[in-house]
Amino acid sequence: MNKLYIFLKYFFIVVWTVFVVAPFLWALTTSFKDFQSVNGGVTYIPWVDFEPNLEGWKVLIKSPAKGGVDIIEPYFNSLFVTCTASLISIILGTLSAYALSRYTFKAGFVKNNDITFFFISQRIMPPIVLSIPFFLFLSSINLLDSLTGLIVVYIVLLMPIAVWIMVDFFNKVPREIDETALIDGCNPYQAFLKVVLPNSIPGLIVAGMFCIIFGWIDFFFAFILTFTEVQLLPVKIVALNSSVTPWWSLSASALVSVAPLIIVAFIVERYLSKGNLSGAIK
Amino acid sequence: MAKIDLSNISHSYNPNDPNPVYALNPFSMTWENGNRYAILGPSGCGKTTMLNIVSGLVRPSAGRILFDDKDVTDLKTEDRNIAQVFQFPVIYNTMTVYENLAFPLKCRDFSKSKTDERVNSVAETLNLKSFLNSPARKLTADQKQLISLGRGLVREDVAAVLMDEPLTVIDPDLKFRLRRNLKEINEQYKTTLVYVTHDQNEAMTFADNIIVMSEGEVVQTGSPKELFERPNTTFVGYFIGSPAMNLFESEVSSNDSVKINNNLIKTRTNLSNIKTKNIKLGIRSEFIKIAQNQNENLINVNVEKVEDLGNYKLITAKMGNFTIKSKVTRETEIPNQNVKLHIPAEKCCVYEDNKLI
Repeated sequence: MNKLYIFLKYFFIVVWTVFVVAPFLWALTTSFKDFQSVNGGVTYIPWVDFEPNLEGWKVLIKSPAKGGVDIIEPYFNSLFVTCTASLISIILGTLSAYALSRYTFKAGFVKNNDITFFFISQRIMPPIVLSIPFFLFLSSINLLDSLTGLIVVYIVLLMPIAVWIMVDFFNKVPREIDETALIDGCNPYQAFLKVVLPNSIPGLIVAGMFCIIFGWIDFFFAFILTFTEVQLLPVKIVALNSSVTPWWSLSASALVSVAPLIIVAFIVERYLSKGNLSGAIK
Repeated sequence: MAKIDLSNISHSYNPNDPNPVYALNPFSMTWENGNRYAILGPSGCGKTTMLNIVSGLVRPSAGRILFDDKDVTDLKTEDRNIAQVFQFPVIYNTMTVYENLAFPLKCRDFSKSKTDERVNSVAETLNLKSFLNSPARKLTADQKQLISLGRGLVREDVAAVLMDEPLTVIDPDLKFRLRRNLKEINEQYKTTLVYVTHDQNEAMTFADNIIVMSEGEVVQTGSPKELFERPNTTFVGYFIGSPAMNLFESEVSSNDSVKINNNLIKTRTNLSNIKTKNIKLGIRSEFIKIAQNQNENLINVNVEKVEDLGNYKLITAKMGNFTIKSKVTRETEIPNQNVKLHIPAEKCCVYEDNKLI
């Protein structure tokens, strides 16, 4: 029974690993192929099945004049917009969430839970519904086709995620922690900054991770709200496609674009597995 | 350290409701500087609300709080210089034990040398010295509670240390030692300690003044001896002491005696002004003994069971419909069936409408 359990456990781990890793291996090998290697039948092993070359990767950094797409600028644009919007969303979202978790708000029949729902309801709407208002709004303040305009829009989109995650997290941080800090001599702001916030790092990490992921992978708003002045990575990658699908450069760009998320996942995993989530009470 | 006056304090969590429910009914009381107080009562009787009002976490619906005659009712918690320890250990997870203990001093800009001195002294008292550099979150539940306690004791000038059932999570052995430590700290530093508990033994052994509460009402305040011997109400008689006070429905027979089940019991209470028929006689089982050569205040009972509880025997007997409990020494020989018990008049408490006359 025990042996069977171990066998099944490892069997499923192997199956799952293959399932997760296979697309990466496929993308990695394809990124070193050329037209012949991709279209000339199934090939797997470099130097044995096909001769690897860097054409797929070179396209990504070559200027359009030389037949490339140059994703370097869009890449840094994406990094800048995602990080800035995520950071601002986390700061604003955390402050709002703390207020919603600790203080009672009431305006007619609207109470704390309704306000929290209002935040998250922004994400329930299909993005297409928001596209025209965003377009008109950015156009009216002359921020269309600009990094600042995108950051503003992404803050609107990411802050509800931060509020939603952090309200839930703060609700689980016992009020006694804040009360103890007050008794120990902190004012409410110090209690939040010195005691509650350091205890909420796991929640901040999770909220930050979601913000970064949703910001980084967004194609829709980046596509609608930018034209020629500013471009983000997802839009540029889509622009790679042509009548003959360039699998090699698409694979290379997919790997490049997923790299920051893999790095974030590794960092987050290390933090969360340290047991920082264990309670401050009991 | 301060004298704390609670003047006409009352509190409701829904004061704007047409029929507000009061968690605390109006009461006044003074906590003298350097004394040990225990607030005793069943769960939900308003003990924690009372503490939170003193620490400023809750603003009372009515009444004033004075620290050394200075009105602090509207003063914020952080400005009251009070320490409070909660039922479950509250520690700052991201800090070491030292940082936890030093936190209240850091918030008040104490010098490094003074902080070091106070933290080391408190860590010594609470046996935390060897953990000072460990992350606080790695300690066991009772060690964490010691940290909470330590944060309360680290300030010497604190107005009072309020403790809300602080030893619930602590092992019985350590509990006993800590209670003794707290007493020593109180005697050494003359810190006013207020201890909330629902455990009467804890209250009796810790405090020199006990405040008994029931359903938002302060029912009696007094020394453990007063509470034990002269409970103000039948509730206190029932709540304090193990077993609870014997209470018998009675009829007034003369100016100083009552009748229980046709037995005449003399008391030291003047019963001439009794207005109702709801009269109860209360007597502690510790004071009821097997009759020797007394010739009054005797009752005939049937012994139902005798339990040997180590250092004494507990007799449970019946007199008509009444059950009587009596504590006697282990050496006492107890006849099998009928026994004559003696009820000393000076230990009798007579209650009219559940209140002591």
